Amino acid sequence: MKARKKTNSQLLFDGILKENPIFRLALSMCPAVGISTSVMNGILLGVAVLFVQVFSSCTISAVKNYIHPRIRIPTYTLTIATWVTVIDLMLAAYFPAAYKEMGIFVKLIVAFAIITMRLETFACKNPVGPSFWDGIGMGLGFTFGMVALGFVRELLGMGTILGYDVLGFRPLLFFVLPAAGFFCVGLMMAIFNYMEIVYNRRRKAQ
Amino acid sequence: MKEIIRITIGLTISCLVAAIVMGSVFAITDKAKKHNEHVRVQDTMLGLLGYGKTNPPPSDLRLVTIYRYTLNEQGNIRLGYMLPVSETGRETYELMVVTPDGNFVEKLPLKITTEAASEAPERETALGSALKPSTSFSFADSAIVALKGKDRIAYLLPSEFPGFKTFVKVILALDTRFSVIGLEIMEHEEDPGLGAEIVQPYFKNQFKGKPFDRLKELKVIKEPLPDEYKAALEGKGLGKGTISRAEVDALRQKYQGKEIFSITGATISSRAVTNGVISAAKKFSYRLKALENVISAQQIAVVF
Repeated sequence: MKARKKTNSQLLFDGILKENPIFRLALSMCPAVGISTSVMNGILLGVAVLFVQVFSSCTISAVKNYIHPRIRIPTYTLTIATWVTVIDLMLAAYFPAAYKEMGIFVKLIVAFAIITMRLETFACKNPVGPSFWDGIGMGLGFTFGMVALGFVRELLGMGTILGYDVLGFRPLLFFVLPAAGFFCVGLMMAIFNYMEIVYNRRRKAQ
Repeated sequence: MKEIIRITIGLTISCLVAAIVMGSVFAITDKAKKHNEHVRVQDTMLGLLGYGKTNPPPSDLRLVTIYRYTLNEQGNIRLGYMLPVSETGRETYELMVVTPDGNFVEKLPLKITTEAASEAPERETALGSALKPSTSFSFADSAIVALKGKDRIAYLLPSEFPGFKTFVKVILALDTRFSVIGLEIMEHEEDPGLGAEIVQPYFKNQFKGKPFDRLKELKVIKEPLPDEYKAALEGKGLGKGTISRAEVDALRQKYQGKEIFSITGATISSRAVTNGVISAAKKFSYRLKALENVISAQQIAVVF
């Protein structure tokens, strides 16, 4: 992190575009490739990650001064695992309808690189406030990435959006298969990088 | 040295805090969670029998449960069936012990009410006091008989088998001739988008209506699911007039003899579910026949 202070809204929007976890930081590629087969999956996993990220970021930044630097990674894992368990149990107990849809996604999160990475690079060096906004930004960015991938793959693979038939036929079934996940992620990444290059060039020209 | 001690203490404290947090959340939520689970199982069972909010179950519909335990009498393996019986108007459970090949050994009365029997610890206390202390027992499975008045209308089989990642828990509904009425996936941890598609109507409804003889030889084929069949399985347009009930039934009839179409990208999960369903139905039909022979020979006044 540079010494330059960022405002909260900057932190939020950086997470979505400039430091998008999937397309710019290239973290959590496993779910990005495996699960982004439909828009709905993207939304559900994104929301689950958002919650765990925000809670874990706040917890770590609140207790960062007490964590011995050599055991920080185990502590992060422990924090994430605790929050995942808590959210899982809470959903199961008080929101059974939501749990039916999100249960399998919440349990997947423990092993996500993006959360550990954000705790390591951001939450353990910043106060609770900015960590909270960074967590939200990262969660939204991840949701955005997953939804974008899901949109392309669901539309091209199944011809549907959110389960509704929009094309009336299936253009390329290949897109819902795991292998196509790599192509989609790669192409989207290229688009994102290209957009940034164009944007920077225009700004220089001004 | 000091460093090591500090690290150890730090890690221990973090683990303790995490354990306390998780433990207390579990303690708080456990009851609500179990209640939700119970409600969900009941709703699913009624749903499989075709009852729901718009079609409430008749008042004479009853679900009675048979629990099966494996007993170990000093090296001799026995099967213990907890059967719901009615004696002079009062309903209770009786334990019938049989050998694995279906020969009667003994029957023991159990001190347990029908309501209490749905709780595993209560059943274990009742069994422990009825059996010899040297006999160890463990829960095997349960089967639910749906009764309408005095007639059996269906069997509901909670079943569990390995999927692609962990166990898949299902409830399978069979009619009195062991044809499949329906299948519902209760719990699984397959991959979303791939194996998790087993919960989708276009997969699980393929089992619906398969007769027992067909079910026994059912295989999974890797062919694309025909669009008209998918529409019939999902039954989406039913209320909107795009497809009629008769058309759905006709299409289902047309594909009834077919194998199970596997899910794209999740052949292993598809196979696991299919084999699990087949083996659950086969084992149940075999056990029930053996059980009925013993029940009629011993003249046990079972409820079902």
